Amino acid sequence: MYSFLFYFLLEVFGLMFLILSFAVISIYILLMILSALEMRDYLRKNRFADYGDIITSPIAPGVSILAPAFNEGMTIVQNAQSLLSLHYGKFEVIIINDGSKDDTLEKLIESFELEKTNFAYFPEIETKPVRGIYRSKNMSFRRLVVIDKENGGKADALNTGINVANMEILACIDVDCILSSDSISRMVRPFMEETNRSVIAVGGVIGIANNCDVQDGTVTQYRVPETMLGKYQVIEYFRAFLMGRMAWSRINGLMLISGAFGFFKTDLVRKVGGYFPKTVGEDMELVVRMRRYMEEAKIPYKLGFVPDPLCWTEVPENAAILSRQRNRWMRGTIETLQLHQAMRLNPKYGILGMISYPFWAIFEKSAPILETAGLLYTLILLVTGDFSAIYFFALLALMYLLSLLVSAFSVLYEQVAFNNYKDKKDLRKLIWMIIIEPFTVHPKIVWWGLKGHIDFIKGKGGWGSMIRTGFKKAEDKKNIQTQATTS
Amino acid sequence: MRTFLLLTFLSLLTISWTRLEAQESIIPQDSTDFGDFLVLQDQVPGLSFRWQIKDKSLPESLLLDSLFLFAKTDSGYISQPMEHFAQLHEMSSRFGLDSLNVGLSYRVYSEEVSWQGAREYLANLVRNGDYQPIYEVKDVSEDLVVLAKKTPYSPFLKFKILFISDYKLFIVTAVIIFFFVVSIVMIIFMIILKVKKSKREQHKKEYENLIIDPLTSLLFEKELDEISVMKASDFHAYFPAELLQKVLFKEVLIQKIIGLNKKMKGEFKGKLKTIYQKLDLDKMSIQSLKSGKWYKITQGLVEINEMDLVEALTEVKGHANSDNFHVRSQAVATLLNLSEKVDLNFLKDQTFPLSEWQQMNYLRIIKFVSNVKPLKLEVLFESSNQSIRVFGIKLVRMLGRLDLLVNLANISEEVGLEEQIEILETYETLGAHMEVGFINRCLSSENEELAFAAAKAAFSLGDENSVKLIYSRLAKDQLSFKLKKQLLKTLHALDISKFDQATIGASDPISGQIRAHILDPLLSHV
Repeated sequence: MYSFLFYFLLEVFGLMFLILSFAVISIYILLMILSALEMRDYLRKNRFADYGDIITSPIAPGVSILAPAFNEGMTIVQNAQSLLSLHYGKFEVIIINDGSKDDTLEKLIESFELEKTNFAYFPEIETKPVRGIYRSKNMSFRRLVVIDKENGGKADALNTGINVANMEILACIDVDCILSSDSISRMVRPFMEETNRSVIAVGGVIGIANNCDVQDGTVTQYRVPETMLGKYQVIEYFRAFLMGRMAWSRINGLMLISGAFGFFKTDLVRKVGGYFPKTVGEDMELVVRMRRYMEEAKIPYKLGFVPDPLCWTEVPENAAILSRQRNRWMRGTIETLQLHQAMRLNPKYGILGMISYPFWAIFEKSAPILETAGLLYTLILLVTGDFSAIYFFALLALMYLLSLLVSAFSVLYEQVAFNNYKDKKDLRKLIWMIIIEPFTVHPKIVWWGLKGHIDFIKGKGGWGSMIRTGFKKAEDKKNIQTQATTS
Repeated sequence: MRTFLLLTFLSLLTISWTRLEAQESIIPQDSTDFGDFLVLQDQVPGLSFRWQIKDKSLPESLLLDSLFLFAKTDSGYISQPMEHFAQLHEMSSRFGLDSLNVGLSYRVYSEEVSWQGAREYLANLVRNGDYQPIYEVKDVSEDLVVLAKKTPYSPFLKFKILFISDYKLFIVTAVIIFFFVVSIVMIIFMIILKVKKSKREQHKKEYENLIIDPLTSLLFEKELDEISVMKASDFHAYFPAELLQKVLFKEVLIQKIIGLNKKMKGEFKGKLKTIYQKLDLDKMSIQSLKSGKWYKITQGLVEINEMDLVEALTEVKGHANSDNFHVRSQAVATLLNLSEKVDLNFLKDQTFPLSEWQQMNYLRIIKFVSNVKPLKLEVLFESSNQSIRVFGIKLVRMLGRLDLLVNLANISEEVGLEEQIEILETYETLGAHMEVGFINRCLSSENEELAFAAAKAAFSLGDENSVKLIYSRLAKDQLSFKLKKQLLKTLHALDISKFDQATIGASDPISGQIRAHILDPLLSHV
């Protein structure tokens, strides 16, 4: 009896892995086609877009740039100057000093002639206490607002910025990001273009600045990073932004806008209660909650995506830091999916519930588990003597070739659309990385993802029970006291 | 190498010989079993038998039997040669009843042999592969090993059957085929695309080099009148006729001319337009409007707009209400730019909502043309499309059309909320003091957005009634922070004493915070 059950399970798992392999191949090929179509259309549309007017037009919406800073004393002044010099008519830069232990605030006060004001605002979203709001007496820095508050994390800092923001659109960025001077104009365009649906948020591409030359806030010379992890992330970012998000954007299925560079409708962000500070994946969670709100309210909406290279950031090239980042991302994904489990395969939520959510649940959240399970399955087959070399090597070769194809196409998209990495040496390095990535970096990524799962199960980060229960409605977040109970 | 080949040959020989020997050994070693074995075979090529009866007389029935056709010999009788061993048992049963001395004589071809000789002959046939023996189906109770030995070799699993029956292999094969087909198609497609793009880019570069010098010569060496009287053939001296037949060359030429047209002024613009028309490039631009592809139509509209091809306005008008956002945006922009008298009726009749992006582009053109052409903005207020009406009100504000304030006053009470908010903002911007009555009515509105816009307008346009309304609203209503802040700002601007009354000693801390904010000199500057 037990023997029968064992072999029956082996059969079931074998079939499951086969179906999964087929699904992976089909979905990635579909994503490649969709992203190619979206990229083609975007480039065509861009030919007719004139960004000249937007800077001065009274019709263009105002933008509040929110940049949380924690212990950024070394670079904060340079970063703030870079933000203040962006080419756009109506914008304000809100830097939120999230209880830095260094001289971040002092440097800002000194460099921008800031003074503490009696700025009155309504704390619509609950946050840690604000110690002061600073403005400059120098009119050259009239766009700058500096908020000094107690430490509460990135999401809490952003929520404070949302409470103070005065413009129609929020640009949530990492303060150390390098923004192209025309980044606001380009990111605002999708908000202005749509006629029949409301554009609730727009995501942008993050470029990797490691080893690149930067001049006047723009990357002037692209170079591939020297380390293997750096090179891997260049390819990974191409895959994620130019392929994944472009494809999801085509079917309005985007579930994630990078926290380092995302634009949101202010009124909607406030309506849904801002960022949820008790998850480590606050960027994804906010996007999902905003979408959920629109679906529940039955309001036609869209998420935009701009593939132009407008924002660059330094990525971690150290395995320890990268592992923590990936662990956090995995926990963020699990938490977001848990919080919004009511949408899972729920036709009420359209593409979000029926396609995007299951995709994230299977191919993003469960990917490390499935890959490990596949490995264990193979080992069991070896032990029981049921191992079939033909299946194993056929599937292995297939998955490897798929990985090569997807990565090669994402590099090709970059070359066709933007061609930033012009040096052939860089291209050769990237191609070599594509070939060796499945055997070198990928196992580490799987392991870090697994650790993310383990940490989530262990309840790292707190609020485990709440996250496991999930939100019954998008607006539930507003009714939760996130500060008093955990501070 | 030679040794290797020899060994291979020998091993192959050994393998095949062993297999044949195994088959030969199944021929029975005793005469009775051999007889049964032959019965099973029925016929063996070259092997026959005859019945031999060593008796002096035979029953008449046997003598006359046509099956045997016995002939008399010295020692008895002998039957005719027979080849069907399957009949042996039936035949012997006929003899049994007459108790005759019957024997069997084997023959290999015509030569008589013993049963051992017949067996040897049969073994040879089997060994050489000339004869495939038939095996007896025996009871399974027999030794399985013996049975297995007797079973001739044939593959247990045939590939065809395996392929269909093993669904996993089938799925894996299907997945691999699917993957390879799709990948190859995609790779080929991308390669073709890349090659085509590279070729096109290369041609474009070549054409650009061929265009720059002749175009410069035409612009700087010829006067406008001279260009105007030039025939098509005259241009061949500048641009070879065979190149002018090529679509890509014409496209590059259009791009170059448009690029120059944007940078140049005065007579040069005229020259460029004349060259454009003389080379029939205008026809190409107009032709693009008939394309089924939106980006070609839009490109055509851009060219018509840039080159002021007024003659194409009728075709352009046909695209003003296109389903495609880019087409209709560009068509409207072209109509606004090129129409001699800017008739905004086509804009009024638009059925699609106007996006902010479109409004921004139209505003730029309208701002430009309003200085040189008459503009009847008021028709937009009559549009059935709300976004057009709102845009009309915005235009009044942005173009500073004080003359249209009366029109706004006339419609202000009937229009919807969004338009009322726009009207209030327009009054505020244009300083429409005479409309304070409307502002005050809106101040009392239950709608927060409208009340907020009215409070903003009242900041600079309000009167004593506004002060009263604001003061009473602050005292009575539960207001949102945003509205309260604006009302207090306005109150501070209109009547400081009332502002102090409303804020000093107020029970709610918010009023105190807002007061501090309003009175903060730094914040009032920024």
